[in-house]
Amino acid sequence: MVDMTAHQGGGGSELFSRGFGLAFPFLVAIAVSALMLLLIGENPFDIFTLMANEGFGSQRRISATLSAATPLLFTGVATAVCFRSGVFNVGVEGAFVLGGLAAAFIGFTAPAEWGAMIILPAFLFAMIVGAFWLYVPGVLLARLDVDEVVSTLMLNFVAFGISGYLVNGPLLSESSGNNVTPLVHEAAQLGRLLPPSTLHAGFFLGLFCLAAYAFWTRRTADGFEAELVGLNQRFSRAVGISIPSVIIMVMLLSGIVSGLGGASHALGQLHRFSEGFSPGYGFTGMAVALLGRNNAFGILFGAVLFGALASAGTTVQLFSDIPLDLVNIIEGTVMIFAVVELGRITLFRRRRAT
Amino acid sequence: MMKTTILAGAIAALLTGAATSAIAADAKPAALIIAQGGLGDGSWNDTANKGFQAGLKKTGIEGRPIESKDVVAQGEEIMRRAADAGFGLIMSLEWIHGEPMEKLAKDYPDSGWVIMNQTRKGDNVASVVFAEHEGSYLAGALAAQVTTDTSIEGINDKPIIGVIGGVKAPGIDKFIIGYIQGAKAINPDIEVKVAYADSFGDPAKGQQMAKAMFDEGADIVYQVAGGTGIGIIEAAKAEGHYAIGVDTDQDGMAPGHVLTSMIKRVDVAVENLVENYAKGEFPGGEVLSFGLVENGVALSEMKHTKDRIPAAYLEKVASMQASIIKGETKVWDVTASGYPDFFK
Repeated sequence: MVDMTAHQGGGGSELFSRGFGLAFPFLVAIAVSALMLLLIGENPFDIFTLMANEGFGSQRRISATLSAATPLLFTGVATAVCFRSGVFNVGVEGAFVLGGLAAAFIGFTAPAEWGAMIILPAFLFAMIVGAFWLYVPGVLLARLDVDEVVSTLMLNFVAFGISGYLVNGPLLSESSGNNVTPLVHEAAQLGRLLPPSTLHAGFFLGLFCLAAYAFWTRRTADGFEAELVGLNQRFSRAVGISIPSVIIMVMLLSGIVSGLGGASHALGQLHRFSEGFSPGYGFTGMAVALLGRNNAFGILFGAVLFGALASAGTTVQLFSDIPLDLVNIIEGTVMIFAVVELGRITLFRRRRAT
Repeated sequence: MMKTTILAGAIAALLTGAATSAIAADAKPAALIIAQGGLGDGSWNDTANKGFQAGLKKTGIEGRPIESKDVVAQGEEIMRRAADAGFGLIMSLEWIHGEPMEKLAKDYPDSGWVIMNQTRKGDNVASVVFAEHEGSYLAGALAAQVTTDTSIEGINDKPIIGVIGGVKAPGIDKFIIGYIQGAKAINPDIEVKVAYADSFGDPAKGQQMAKAMFDEGADIVYQVAGGTGIGIIEAAKAEGHYAIGVDTDQDGMAPGHVLTSMIKRVDVAVENLVENYAKGEFPGGEVLSFGLVENGVALSEMKHTKDRIPAAYLEKVASMQASIIKGETKVWDVTASGYPDFFK
């Protein structure tokens, strides 16, 4: 797990290699999908131009991209905060979903007279639910050495089960035949930044989380300790860092950020909880964290990239016969090479060192 | 870090540089937004797309189905993009798009908007609903005939059938009341057991409830309970009795144990709308009810059970269908007329 972490260092050539490291998986993905397009008889240049245009071509498209990137900012940070300490937490998805459900629940059950004040308890409840959700596997790992990959992965299914049950039964909107909760009160809905785009105030909250994460990693003792644990557990233990408390801390932080992300998505984007609330933001968040190498700017880049793929990949179908599968191929390739690339850089460094 | 940003920016600039638009400005194309589950679901989405493609082929209109993994959250952006790009007909199969569509339709009065299974306001919005009560009536009529015919495997002599709804709501009781009415039209003394699972996603509970009904002498149970219904069909298979499927052709889920399915012909609805749009007769502001007359609801072809059911029963069902189409028989629509005396 140690090589999941990125060392935060200076140096011009390292900056270059890091920038290249961010772009490399993307370039490989472009090459692979260009090949695919050629094979199905399409002109890759036209399609990529169209995609770029749909992702960033106008203010509306940029806002659509950022809107799609918003949940990934949260899940990217929530994942990175754990990966950085060598804790392979894959349970962000579950915490995100339950956080969203918790916020939506407050959003439509709290008295409407509270007005915009509802947002506070909604976010708070989502944070508590998210934190609790990942605290459990955190404690299991820290105290009983229960493998976190297994526990967090399994807890995702429990989370889907719980939310699925609630939205199909007790919290089902009476006025609908479908699996959705009622809409949250209008006052509890987060404002839109650039109407008519769906980009909402949750985007700023996501940026705030990203900034807080950057500050935590670079400027706090806890953040430094957490990094040390990721780099070398034996060394950390030797210098007196409590490994169990670091594990529990990063899991709690991850849960809080996941919960916030779910709340932002529920109150800002959907204004309710529904079946299909998250199409796997938590899992894409892992790709974002890996691609961004747990670095705040890298996460921003990764989130925007995957957001653009999601938004452009959909609307591009309006103008061409490119199936959604092509976008899935690009995403998948980026994800694979985001990991492969790390190994390559290590080799590169070693060769340079000798 | 600067270089990272510059590099990322450079890539974006490179890619956006020579962007061209592939939209043909003069033709007003149609878009069909695919619901959760995507194409290849063998059900709702695929059926609708079949109708869409047929409609496009017939009219020569250009159009495309749009899929997204994130169709729930991105619905509004997709629909707005389609309208911005000059699409003249924008149809969504995703239930949750109804809310944003109502607002979008106001911003884009020149486009025609279509939503399914709900009623939305707007002069340029067409709401498609299915006359599920009519299809359920036929299902009830078939079940009432079969339930006392002990020559059919898995059937006892008691005139008892059942129905399990997802929740107690008018949208579900619409099915249930039609079913009861159809059954009583065959046999006024028939007992129809009614229960609600209080959930659309609990197959275990569905199985339990269906088993209880079978234990009490029912041999055919109609499921109007979404995912909960999978358990009802499972129970029919395990107990050697029958379930009736809903919405799509579920006969194949337990071959020989699903008597029939009450199908919503979303393909008929979509094709019909594309044709009307092409003729310049988009039914904006209307609620389009697709019933037996429009071929919008139907019983499945009963691939696995047809041979077991005496032809006379099917003929009777066909004649009842004809009578509804002619307007001689009226099936109670609870969403329009409120609850009838026989079902409170």
